Amino acid sequence: MRGIVGVFPELDTTVEAIVELKKLRVGDVTVYSPTPRHELDDVLKHGPSVVRRFTLIGALLGVTFGYWIAIWISDYWPLVVGGKPIASWVPYTIFGFEVMVLIGSLSTVLGLFITAGIPRITQTVGYDPRFSDGSFGIWVECRPEEQDAVRRLLKEKGAEEVRGER
Amino acid sequence: MTAVAPDAREERRNNIATADVQLPAVASYTQITDEILDTLKITKAWFLGLGIAVFCLLIGATAWFYQIYMGLGVAGYRPPVMWGVYIITFVFWVGIGHAGTLISAILYLFRAGFRTTIYRCAEAMTVFAVMTAGLFPILHLGRPWKFFWLIPYPNWRLIWPQFKSPLVWDVFAILTYLTVSATFLFIGLIPDLAVLRDRETNPARKRIYGVLSFGWRNSDREWRHFARAYLFLAAFSTPLVLSVHSVVSFDFAMANLPGWHTTIFPPYFVAGAIFSGIGMVFTIIIPLRRWFNLKHYVTLNVLDAAAKLCLFTSLVVGCAYLTEFFIAWYSGSEIEQAYFWNRVFGQWWWAAWIMLTCNAILPMLLFSQRLRRNTTFLFTLSIFINLGMWYERFVIIVPSLSHEFEPWKWAPYAPTYIDWAILLGSFGWFSMWFLLFVKQLPIMAIAEIKEIVPPRMRYPHHEPDPEGHSITPGIIGSYEVR
Repeated sequence: MRGIVGVFPELDTTVEAIVELKKLRVGDVTVYSPTPRHELDDVLKHGPSVVRRFTLIGALLGVTFGYWIAIWISDYWPLVVGGKPIASWVPYTIFGFEVMVLIGSLSTVLGLFITAGIPRITQTVGYDPRFSDGSFGIWVECRPEEQDAVRRLLKEKGAEEVRGER
Repeated sequence: MTAVAPDAREERRNNIATADVQLPAVASYTQITDEILDTLKITKAWFLGLGIAVFCLLIGATAWFYQIYMGLGVAGYRPPVMWGVYIITFVFWVGIGHAGTLISAILYLFRAGFRTTIYRCAEAMTVFAVMTAGLFPILHLGRPWKFFWLIPYPNWRLIWPQFKSPLVWDVFAILTYLTVSATFLFIGLIPDLAVLRDRETNPARKRIYGVLSFGWRNSDREWRHFARAYLFLAAFSTPLVLSVHSVVSFDFAMANLPGWHTTIFPPYFVAGAIFSGIGMVFTIIIPLRRWFNLKHYVTLNVLDAAAKLCLFTSLVVGCAYLTEFFIAWYSGSEIEQAYFWNRVFGQWWWAAWIMLTCNAILPMLLFSQRLRRNTTFLFTLSIFINLGMWYERFVIIVPSLSHEFEPWKWAPYAPTYIDWAILLGSFGWFSMWFLLFVKQLPIMAIAEIKEIVPPRMRYPHHEPDPEGHSITPGIIGSYEVR
């Protein structure tokens, strides 16, 4: 993995640089920001996150398990009270709901980890500690012959520091 | 560094509960990082506070060991009042947790901007309050080492727990609440742990923060999925917070006792829980903003908005109190009527009037904006709310058990020194965890506060640059907080 990283002190110059980089059609562009900014989302034009699928599947599995465990146990060890159902869905809705929330939440976290690519053991290439403080950053993964053009563009657009990394 | 605006000069806003809350004395992202990380420096006062908390905890632990040795009789349990201070305090601490989830999750979904600077504290308060609450059902057991019998597995001669029992519902609700609250807190902390990692110079601590932050890099990919996951966690937490105290209320409402067997309990408990939690948020956040010099983050506008929420929930709680009396009168049940009369004008009048005064009468003062913006008043009121909400649970639990259907079953009840020692110990346990938290992790969400502060711009007024390039109209044009 080799490329160019640029450190930008301002948001508007970062946005401009991204727009120009897209026109240049070089390699993958990764943008760093200390906080989520919708201006960056707007130019990057990503599709919707797929975390929602993990959430939905987890929640459905959870609600199924919650009802199942209560109904199965009632059937396995029946407490027969005259006129009362052995498995009663009304109180078991509490289990269905609670386990839905539990498994749904945990699977959402799993979805976040998988889609965002964390945990990440090595994270130094293309990253600068300033990106978590006050600066914005752009990491462009590109071939050696493209690097000069990228470097020039980032400098021109206002990067306070541009460096190659591999 | 920008000068901190004095409280008195802070501009009053007509509608401060909306998302456009602003921090006029916070100028840059770096200032936010610097000032919030400054709160992590260890001080002598912090050590003193931690020492006091641990001392209180030790008093409680000693009392518990004595109780295990002597039996539950030392806890003031006398038939028919077999639920006392431990169950009261259990409900109290579960309730305290609810405001944290309200502020962090529900207000997040409603885009209420004033939550941003206080939600981390409130969330941590939730986790530690539920951890404290979880101790009390165990303390309440004569043989606490068998607490795991309530967990659903065939624990004794292949007998499973009774799934129609509210006590088993409680186990599911509280464990789910603890897990989801802790997860929500930790996921929100990941970007801030990355800030700590990047600022840390000690290699060992840097490595620890690196592991805890999961190698977070603030990339667009990470933020995109993070925002979505955070939204879903908030969406799950919102109904969860309503369900948990409803389930706790079922512990009482499912029993056939005067004062307990009523359908008003779930909403009544939820409103009371949120009210008590907001009281505790004030108790915690007002000293913290002063000690850590964070008045320009937790501004008077923020406290004003939170006080309005406190006033609203107080009105709901007050309405629930009156509805209870109305139901007793309207039901035509003499037993129910006698019970409520006894609660307010009989044996338990003092507890009931502490409850009514602290929870329904004193908070009416919050109709005054001047008082809503007076931190000394808010802190004092919050202490009364904490006291009143503990007594609310006392009034719910003890009078019903001590004044049942038959006069020969009526009896007095008085907490013992063991009860008070364990109550003190629970505050020590909660404070210990909270104090450890405030010096290890940021008490405010650094990344989220940066979201409400305008970012640095080269051309801040959307003017063309000197070469005549426009700055992507329609993209930068709406950079104000949303």
